[in-house]
Amino acid sequence: MNDRRNYYFPTSKPKPHSPLTEEELLFGLRHGEESAFKELVARFQDKVFNTALGLLQHHTEAEDIAQEVFIQVFRSIQNFKEESLLSTWIYRITVTKSLDHLRSKKRKKRFGFLSMLFGDNNLPVYEPEDFNHPGVLHENKEDAAILFKMIDQLPENQRTAFVLNKVEELSYREIADILNTTESAVDSLLQRGKQNLRKKLNNSPP
Amino acid sequence: MQSKFSKARIECIMESLGGLQPAVAPDFFYTRLKGKMQPTEVKKKIFMLRPAFITAALAVLFIANVISLLQADNKIPKQDAMDISGKPATIESFASAYNINTESVYE
Repeated sequence: MNDRRNYYFPTSKPKPHSPLTEEELLFGLRHGEESAFKELVARFQDKVFNTALGLLQHHTEAEDIAQEVFIQVFRSIQNFKEESLLSTWIYRITVTKSLDHLRSKKRKKRFGFLSMLFGDNNLPVYEPEDFNHPGVLHENKEDAAILFKMIDQLPENQRTAFVLNKVEELSYREIADILNTTESAVDSLLQRGKQNLRKKLNNSPP
Repeated sequence: MQSKFSKARIECIMESLGGLQPAVAPDFFYTRLKGKMQPTEVKKKIFMLRPAFITAALAVLFIANVISLLQADNKIPKQDAMDISGKPATIESFASAYNINTESVYE
């Protein structure tokens, strides 16, 4: 039987090379061409999904957020001023949407008991099990699950910088553009993030 | 306080994302995305179902009805009830039209 986690494992199937330049892609998107939108999704779906998955640590929620990101891109492409790269803009939407989702999840968790009593759907708030990123090497799975649990407790900006750097493997420059900050600020965020992670691991009770 | 993890283990955990392969979007992602976008596209097309449009259409219909009623009311002159022969209707004419009389009721 197919394990659900295997469903998301990176596959070796070749992706068709796109001959469209970013300008052509933007032109097509602004004129509502479906082929351009399809091309945009094919080009960015893995990056968006991987980023959302790193931040949310939940496969289904990451897919939902990735879909919402592309819907947002489709709706507001006329507002894209080309002051940054298209990829930067899409990453920014992904990060914002993922963090918004995390905040609303936290809110629901806080008022979980009340919403369970008076809410529309009287279901208890779902507590996820340990998250396993599908791309982690087999021998590192256990350690990576512990690390993701600790990442989940980091402040938003440190968590974002850490995920973009370690999971999406973006450079300091790219992260700085996405977070609208400087490279030194990103470096400082990452250093503090690592310090916090070490501290949390050190303070884990036996 | 003693930690659950040794210093060496902590370093291993910190380095556990080394060699991480990026996750890929699930199969049929685009198909599902198109499915999610479909209802909003349909909504845009049926502009006649917008509340503003419906309210305006109903208001126009109501005003047209009121105007036509007022005009029809003005055109028809007010008349007293008439019998078949065109004379003003009386109790007697009513009784004779339906072939009844007061006596027949008590007999």
